[in-house]
Amino acid sequence: MLVLTRKPGEGILIGDEIKITIIEGRGGSVRIGIEAPADKKIYRQEVYERICQENKEAIQWNIADLNDLTISLPTKENRQ
Amino acid sequence: MKKIMTRFGEVEFDPEKTLSFVSGLIGFENLHDFLVMPSVKKGPLFWIQSVEDPQIAFVVTDPTNFFLDYKVVPDKVERKTLGIEDEDECFALSVVTIHPDKSVTLNLAAPILFAPKSNRAMQVILEKSQYQTRTPLPVV
Repeated sequence: MLVLTRKPGEGILIGDEIKITIIEGRGGSVRIGIEAPADKKIYRQEVYERICQENKEAIQWNIADLNDLTISLPTKENRQ
Repeated sequence: MKKIMTRFGEVEFDPEKTLSFVSGLIGFENLHDFLVMPSVKKGPLFWIQSVEDPQIAFVVTDPTNFFLDYKVVPDKVERKTLGIEDEDECFALSVVTIHPDKSVTLNLAAPILFAPKSNRAMQVILEKSQYQTRTPLPVV
């Protein structure tokens, strides 16, 4: 991992399109600003990893479970 | 027509008519083509089967079956990815997790946006919302 030391107001450029600016450090947290093209998805790492993990758990199912559930779940139609 | 052997048996499909995840699903970025598989029994659940990895399939549902006011509107960039215009339809689907204890949760925090017109889909993360990754079904 590349490690750089930056002061508030200083920045980092990643390639031609992504600019990261250190806004301030406060109470153990660091606020950073990110400028990137709109099509670049930016996520907090722990949020992204939680979704990754959930998707991995979601593929652990079997057809018997699905059939059992299908019988027991209500649908929009039969609830109305 | 092509054939693949999935966890649930052999499936024949038309490669021109697959559901296309341009960027894959989160954690499965290399899987782009899926088949929409109807549930054998009538009900709100169905599944999407990866063409590229026959081991991978996700159970999905229309979340408004359970959460009537759930709505996700794609932004401009997402519409572009989906290949649709402002007036074109786009539906949100939820990935369903069936846990080892057989309880069921919906991932309302990371819905799949599906555009029928282009037959494209993408999974998005609703980072600013209160929706949970593991939302239990409402008690009826």
